[in-house]
This record gives sequence, C-alpha cells and structure tokens, in this order.
Amino acid sequence: MSAVATPTREKARAAGISLKRLPRGQWGTVLLLAALVVADFAVQPNLADVDQIGLLLQTAMPAVLLAAAQTLAVLSRGVDLSVGSVMVTTNVLVATKLGGIDGSHMGLIVPIVAVGAAAGLINGALIAYGGLEPFVATLASWAIFNGVALLILPTDGGAVPTTITNLVIGKVGPIPSSYVGVAIVLAFWWYLRRSPLGVRILAVGSDESRAFLNGIDVRRTKLLVYALSGLIAGLAGIYLAGATSSGTPAAGDGFLLPSLAAVVIGGTSLAGGRGGIGLSVMGVMVLTFITDLVTNLQLPSWVAVVANAAMLLLVVSLRSLPNVLSRKETP
Amino acid sequence: MTLRLPRRLSATAAAYVVCAALFAFATIHSSSFASAGHVRQLLVFASFIGFAGLGETLVILGGGLDLSVPWLMALGGMQLSIWASGGMPSGLAILLLVGIGALIGIVNGLGVTLLRIPPIIMTIGTGALVEGYLMKVGLNSSSAVTAPKAAQTLVENHVAGIPVVALVWLGAAIVTWWVLKRTVFGRSLYATGANEAVARLAGTRVIAVRVTTYAASGAAAVFAGILLAGYIGQAYLSMGAPYLFSSIAAVAIGGASVLGGSGSYWGTVAGAGTLTILAALLPTFNLSDAALNIVYGLVILLAVGASRFARRGSA
Repeated sequence: MSAVATPTREKARAAGISLKRLPRGQWGTVLLLAALVVADFAVQPNLADVDQIGLLLQTAMPAVLLAAAQTLAVLSRGVDLSVGSVMVTTNVLVATKLGGIDGSHMGLIVPIVAVGAAAGLINGALIAYGGLEPFVATLASWAIFNGVALLILPTDGGAVPTTITNLVIGKVGPIPSSYVGVAIVLAFWWYLRRSPLGVRILAVGSDESRAFLNGIDVRRTKLLVYALSGLIAGLAGIYLAGATSSGTPAAGDGFLLPSLAAVVIGGTSLAGGRGGIGLSVMGVMVLTFITDLVTNLQLPSWVAVVANAAMLLLVVSLRSLPNVLSRKETP
Repeated sequence: MTLRLPRRLSATAAAYVVCAALFAFATIHSSSFASAGHVRQLLVFASFIGFAGLGETLVILGGGLDLSVPWLMALGGMQLSIWASGGMPSGLAILLLVGIGALIGIVNGLGVTLLRIPPIIMTIGTGALVEGYLMKVGLNSSSAVTAPKAAQTLVENHVAGIPVVALVWLGAAIVTWWVLKRTVFGRSLYATGANEAVARLAGTRVIAVRVTTYAASGAAAVFAGILLAGYIGQAYLSMGAPYLFSSIAAVAIGGASVLGGSGSYWGTVAGAGTLTILAALLPTFNLSDAALNIVYGLVILLAVGASRFARRGSA
C-alpha cells in the first residue's frame, strides 16, 4: 500500500500539488449550497424527507455525471464539448438495443458502457496524439456523436428495460438509489484523487512541461482523461434512459453549458490543475436547489434561468475579485 | 517561375479549397445545385452563419470565445417582432436592437477583461440572462412571434440577381478585412490574441481591443437573428440554438486558431459556405440530420487538419 502511495506523494510534491490542501473557494461553495438547502427547506418543509431529496438527486444525477466527466477534462486543462452528445449516444442505445422493457438482451449493456469509453478514447487520441486542441477535437466529436445518436433513434422514443428503470427509481434498503449514485461518484473521486492517475491528471493540468519533466507520460494521461470522461458521460446516458424510460437523442445540447457552469460554480479552475469532482457535484446541487427553490416559490420558470445565470456570474466574480484587486495574473 | 502563395493566406486558402471542392462535387452530383436560384438561396442561408460567425471570429482572434450568440440571435428575432407588432418602425427597431446587442457584448467584454471571468463562463452567463428575459416575454419556448416585413424584405429581395443580404454580408466582410489588416485596431487584435502580456507591454490597449470584439459579436449576432427571423417568417426562443455550434465551427473550419492570434474573416466566410453547402447537399443523397451532424464533425477535423498542414508547409 505505502509502496504505491509514497512515490505518488513524491511525484505530487515534485509537481507542486498538495494532496491535503483543498482548493480555495471550497468553503464558499459549501456555505452557498448550505444556504440554498436551508432556504429551500424553509420554503418547502415537506422537502425534508428522504424520498423527496432522493427524487431531487435523481433529477440531478445525469447532470452530476456530466459535470464529473467535464471536471476531469477541465482539471487536465482541457474541455469536453462532447459530454452531452456521448450521453445521448449511450442513451438511445439503451432505448433501442436491449430488447425493450423486458430487457431480453440485457447483456449488451456491457458493450454500451464501452461505447462511451470508446467515444472518449477517440477524443483523447485526437487530443493527445493528434495534437488537436481539446476545444476543436471535442467540437467535432460533439457533432459526430449527436449524429450517431440521431442515426440510431431519429426521434424521442424506444423502450428501456425495467431492470434499468427500477435501478434508477428504486431503493437500496430504505433509501432511494440516487443517494447511492451520488455516493459512488464521490467515492470514485476520493479514490481517483489519491491514485497515481489522479495525481498525474492534476500535474498535467497545473503545468504540462513540469509534469513531463517529472516523468509523467502527458499524452497517456490525457488519453485516459478523455476516455474516463466519455465513460462517465456514457453512464449518464444510461441513467437518463432509466430516469425517463425512453431514448432522447436531441437532449444532449441542453446539458453541455450547464456542465461547464456546474464545474465553475463548484470552484474548479478552468486553467486546470485545481478543483475536483466533489466540488462539481456541489455545483450541480447549487443549480438544482436554485431551480427547486424557484419552483417551490411558485415563480415562473424564467426566474430559475435568470437566477442560475446570476448565481454563476456572481460566484465567478467573487472568486476572481481577490485576484483582480491584487492585480495578479489569472489565465 | 514558381507559384508562391503568401504565407498568411494558406490556412484561409485551405478552407476555400474544402468549400470549392464540395461545391464542385455537389454540382457534379446534381446539376441544379449550381442554378442561380439555388445559389441565391445558399447565399442567404450562409449569411446567417456568416454574421453569427463574424463577431465570433473577432472574439476568437483576440483569444476569447462567445457562447451567448444563440440567445442574442433569438433576442434579435423575438424583440424585433414584438416591437414591430407594437407599432415601432422596423428600421428604428433594428438599429436599437443591434445597439443592445453591442451593449450586451460590452458587458461580456468587461466581465472577461476587468473581472477576469473566463470567456466561456461570462458568455454562458449573459446568454442565460438573455434566455431568461426571452422566456419571460415569450411566456414559453413554443410560442413564436411573427417577424415584421422589413426583416423579410432583407432576405427576400435581390439586386441584379444577388440577394440584398449577400451584398450586405459582402460589405461587412470587406469592412472586417480592412479593419483587421489595415487599422491599428486590427493589428492590436492579432497581437492581443497571440500573446496578451506581450501586447500589453508593447502598449496595446488590450482591454479596449477585447471589449470591442465582444461588442461587435453581440451586434452581429443580433443582426443574424433578425435576418433569420425574416427568413423563417417568425421568431422563437430556440431559433438560435444550432448557431452555438455553427458559429464556432465556421471559424474553426476557416482555419483560425481557437487559441487566438491567427486567422481571418475570409476563412470564416469559407467555413460558413462549407457548412451551408453540406446542409444542402446531404438531403440530395437522402441523408438525414443525423448524417449531417456526423459529416459536420468530420469536416471540422478535415479542415483543421488541412489548415495545419498548410501552415506547416509554409513555416
């Protein structure tokens, strides 16, 4: 155990990464989320119920997964514009290839999960070995996978096996499974952050040439970042299929900009190397609770859109204010 | 005697080769593709991406990005229709709206430069604020408002067989080219995009330059929305949605570096042409939107590869 951990720690230190210190602004995110939760509970006391919160988490789960996928790309100082379209690709595969609600071809779920990872691998190969900017490579694959999804299922429809639906809307013992979903995402990040790969991702994101000089295979790291991002985005598509009981080939684009917003509200730096999936999960929940609060106050839906946007701009302004005042350079 | 292309041209030239090859292929496949009527229609279609991509080109040249384009387009179309149906003269409404677009762009620019908010986030934020406003005035996303006559005239009339909107577009392209190549602003913009810190040390007014690009982008996007509403005959909340992708894709296909500092608007014009020809060509093969998306993606990769190759060859 320590034989693995020690060189990882050393490499992390050499690359200028602290594994202990959490990013600045994390407490701000925690306080913001706590304030919103308290406000939402005050407006809607019924919400303080295991099942109600479970439903909220279930609605947020696809966005949570996409934000997690986006976070990995952003941490490596990249971006993944294809998260939404990879999501709808696996989404329509689930709705068309598993044999309808009976799920008579349930075994095909394994290759469908692999499709997400393969989509990510293509992104990663274009970026790491093709030398394309992440923005350009994923701009192209954004269109390509949206096309693939539409090719498989031209309009909303299809049928999702009840096994998947029950998994998404069901319970594990007394608690809704969405809690477990969020817990798995957080546990994954907890593990990844301490793993050699996690350290490499943060190192590459904070300073690519320094990471290279420390013996990190920058290209392989980037390849794995986008492969993981695709894998997670693909899982989001499977989850979404379960949550909505159908395939939604055109739903991807609506998830793209919120995934970036959630990452930034959480506190992960777009300049790479600082932040984490845990923060992004909080970012998604901030946006989810704002929307829920607006709904519970019985305000029209445009208020939620404006409030989410205002929150995004407010949070990033407050974060960059110290830098602006101290005239420090921010990328 | 050897034929030598100027180095700067080569990335743009690659974009035109892609565009021309596609047009030639389409003409061979279906001779009516090159008919005057069809080309006219293609020009009108391309002008929507052309205007949406004009501001995007300037912003990207300066090292930024504008993701508020789709919502500003919807703002242009919807607000014009609302004002015009309220009795405001269309000309005045169009001028006011383009001004409002520029103002929103200035807000984007100030957020990016003074508050140092990443361009992606700043423009997502203002875009969503505009979206919220439009949801309020449009009450819901499915409600459409009818576009006024003036906007329809812009896209339907032609002079000497050329659509008015294409002439306006050509004029805008020439002005943009002149501004980029022949003015201090243009030089400053390339310098800022190539290396902001160095540009600042060299005395470039980096903040003013970048804010101006966002203002131009806001104004151009609103104008594109007005044209689009005129073409469709109505305006609705999601009318600009496809242009989030195509405004950026046109710039990328046009050979500009997404990191800023290199590229030209003529490249984006070729990019807009390429995207438009593909959209018109694929249905003749009985290919759907699905195939179009896939081909769009592949063409971006192809064009970016070609412009890299061209640049490497000239370096």
